[in-house]
Amino acid sequence: MLDRVLGPLNARRLHRVFRKAKLTVLCLFLTLIVLRANIGAGKFGTPEKDLDEIRETFSHIRNRAEPRRVLEEVAELKSSGDADAGSKNYADFDIKKILKDEDDGFPEFKRDPSQPYSLGPKISDWNEQRSEWLKNNPDYPNFVAENKPRVLLVTGSSPKPCENPVGDHYLLKSIKNKIDYSRLHGIEIFYNMALLDAEMAGFWAKLPLIRQLLLSHPEVEFLWWMDSDAMFTDMAYEVPWERYKDHNFVMHGWNEMIYDEKNWIGLNTGSFLLRNCQWSLDILDTWAPMGPKGKIREDAGKILTRELKGRPVFEADDQSAMVYILATEKEKWGEKVYLENHYYLHGYWGILVDKYEQMIESYHPGFGDHRWPLVTHFVGCKPCGKFGDYPVERCLKQMDRAFNFGDNQILQMYGFTHKSLASRKVVRIRNETSKPLEVRDELGLLHPSFKAVKTGSS
Amino acid sequence: MGSGGAFPAQKRSSGVLPMVNGGARGRAAPLLPRGRQIHKTFHNVKITILCGFVTILVLRGTIGIGSLVTSEADAENQHLIEETNRIIAEIRSDRDPSDPDEGPERFLGLNDTFSLGPRISNWDEDRKVWLEKNPRFPSYVNGKPRILLVTGSQPTPCDNAIGDHYLLKALKNKIDYCRIHGIEIMYNMAHLDKEMTGYWAKLPLLRRLMLSHPEVEWIWWMDSDALFTDMVFEIPVSKYKDYNMVIHGYPDLLFEQKSWISLNTGSFLFRNCQWSLDLMDAWAPMGPKGPLREEAGKILTANLKGRPAFEADDQSALIYLFLSQKEQWMSKVYVENSFYLHGFWEGLVDQYEEMIEKYHPGLGDARWPFVTHFVGCKPCGSYGDYPVERCLKSMERAFNFADNQVLNLYGFRHRGLASPNIKRIRNETVAPLVNVDQFDIRHAARHTTEPQS
Repeated sequence: MLDRVLGPLNARRLHRVFRKAKLTVLCLFLTLIVLRANIGAGKFGTPEKDLDEIRETFSHIRNRAEPRRVLEEVAELKSSGDADAGSKNYADFDIKKILKDEDDGFPEFKRDPSQPYSLGPKISDWNEQRSEWLKNNPDYPNFVAENKPRVLLVTGSSPKPCENPVGDHYLLKSIKNKIDYSRLHGIEIFYNMALLDAEMAGFWAKLPLIRQLLLSHPEVEFLWWMDSDAMFTDMAYEVPWERYKDHNFVMHGWNEMIYDEKNWIGLNTGSFLLRNCQWSLDILDTWAPMGPKGKIREDAGKILTRELKGRPVFEADDQSAMVYILATEKEKWGEKVYLENHYYLHGYWGILVDKYEQMIESYHPGFGDHRWPLVTHFVGCKPCGKFGDYPVERCLKQMDRAFNFGDNQILQMYGFTHKSLASRKVVRIRNETSKPLEVRDELGLLHPSFKAVKTGSS
Repeated sequence: MGSGGAFPAQKRSSGVLPMVNGGARGRAAPLLPRGRQIHKTFHNVKITILCGFVTILVLRGTIGIGSLVTSEADAENQHLIEETNRIIAEIRSDRDPSDPDEGPERFLGLNDTFSLGPRISNWDEDRKVWLEKNPRFPSYVNGKPRILLVTGSQPTPCDNAIGDHYLLKALKNKIDYCRIHGIEIMYNMAHLDKEMTGYWAKLPLLRRLMLSHPEVEWIWWMDSDALFTDMVFEIPVSKYKDYNMVIHGYPDLLFEQKSWISLNTGSFLFRNCQWSLDLMDAWAPMGPKGPLREEAGKILTANLKGRPAFEADDQSALIYLFLSQKEQWMSKVYVENSFYLHGFWEGLVDQYEEMIEKYHPGLGDARWPFVTHFVGCKPCGSYGDYPVERCLKSMERAFNFADNQVLNLYGFRHRGLASPNIKRIRNETVAPLVNVDQFDIRHAARHTTEPQS
């Protein structure tokens, strides 16, 4: 038809041009696709992403239908529901069915959100208030024996079941381990299962809790915070309280790594001692501002990653924040902070757990250090969550071993021990006698000196 | 598709045909010479191969070789989940990797005698001497007798995760009560005796603890499924100065009806003395696993009212012992029911809101139960005697009911008895010690008179 308009020769030329143009465009298009497939197009993404998006759209369409289907199923279940509500089988029960908030009529006091975050109203005379109280309450002295302060061990976990099906079992073993150590050493325990402040959720939750406990328990001289994934592995070691008589904050760490290197793992806030005094309230107030969830924590995280050595990129955590505070305000806080590394107030599990058999062979409890660690801390294992930083098998098996390593020291008091560090079974190592009081346990833990009461207090 | 571009010469030569994309089209073919036909065919084939090649390249870039459905990340995820499940199953099974089967179990025969240990006959004197020699471990601290609360659970994870979670909460509950009242806790997770398994495991454990801790005056056994619900109430130990055992029950149910639930061994106290050692020696024989326990079970079912047929349990055995040897034991046993040393949960858990409205902690009885005991719920196993939802909901409520009494000191409360979340009910002040004096149970208790018996 073009022939008629332009004449045969021109028409042919035009056809040729068209054809070439078409080919050019086609080849260009193909080239672009190939390039994009291999290199990607920046924020437009790769075809793989395209495909994902397409898949998502389709599945979204499917999912929109899905809730309806699920609801229908649930409705079915409900109608045949009474049979299910009466189920006596624990296997398929979903705890979320029964946990729910209700209003019980008690008025709630909320923090004023327009104000900058604070742990509570500023108290400036805590030392005076506390010493007055102690004078008026001689039945609750802050020292329970000569050179032995009253200590409150604080730990905790979530009030909801763990995501990992065996997580709660390991939490149970961990608290049993702490109960055993505390009973031997005359320490009290507070197991926290309450989130006091939703803004300070996660690793920061300990700050409002610690402040609340310090203020509510003036008789407590030292508060010992311990993570739920830390276990006592030396039942005979007593913390050298005298060493800290001029300090208020004891953490495991190294001075050079904090003050010189600003290394983010130069200290560990998974196990530390904090004295109940004004200084501690002040450092808690200085510590808290990086904690509130959301933008504040994110931004603080960036500052910490920038300022501290080796810190990966993630939101602000309490440990990095403390490193930062000490490194930048050494003159203000450093004098009263003791970075302890002569014993394992916190012992990183990775370098300890394989040596237990060697320790049993060569040493004995009571050292607290690399020869027989006081605390084995399973940093990164996260047994309560679904995924940790280490393989599940290694973490759980090693936690069992550490637990048994500590438990053996308790069982030996009664004449038993675990069959092996991996075994739950116990065997007798001492026969029963008709004169039980003449038998002394090897480690002397049945009636240790650090458990003895002040004479004349009966 | 454009095939003409490559062969413009050919097209020109077939220019007589009025076609836009000439050359390869079908209509022209029969009129072309052979050679050109072959050329055209080659030409088409080349184009086809080229297009095919480009298509494969493009597809490879987008979807990748391999499965079209799952991506690599999914596969890895799946593997992780499978691995975790395998490990968890291994942990849950009682099978011990370092301890292969020790051969078939040998039970004690009916003619064998079982003993908890060599007979001790001088315990009271030996203990007295020890206490005199060890004044730093007195049996009375601050005017109160030293009490050791003993509880425990199996060394393996529960059959379901929820079981371990409630064991944890129950333990926290006991830790709280014991901290407030200066009681020590021992949580046992070891099977000390192969024969005394199950509910009988408490006997060798309690005996061992008595003998190892002469400084302990009273030992208090408490089941893992019992929760403290009155954090203020303290056991009136002075009431029991002439007794050696305190157990919750009803004397008429015991002596007249001989009911198998007239006493409850889920929560009881006994004094660290010779009498208790003798009692345990008399109690133990029905316990050893196997034919002994089976036979004993039959005797118990025959003699106790309402008892179903199953192997001997420690509670029925104790009741039978008290009935058959009444004169020997009952003078030193206090059957307590003026407060709920053991409170059967079913009748109590629905009243919590009413109790909060009408009464206050410290009463320990039906108005505000001291202990709520979830008999029959068995959350650590796979099946209980009651519907799971009712059990768990009630346990959660009981836990929060008690936890509210603990959190009160700190100014918090649960958002309802079914909620793990808390709310602040008292503003913070700059003078927190006023609240401490008012709300700390230990200090408040000091100011009230001792509860009447």
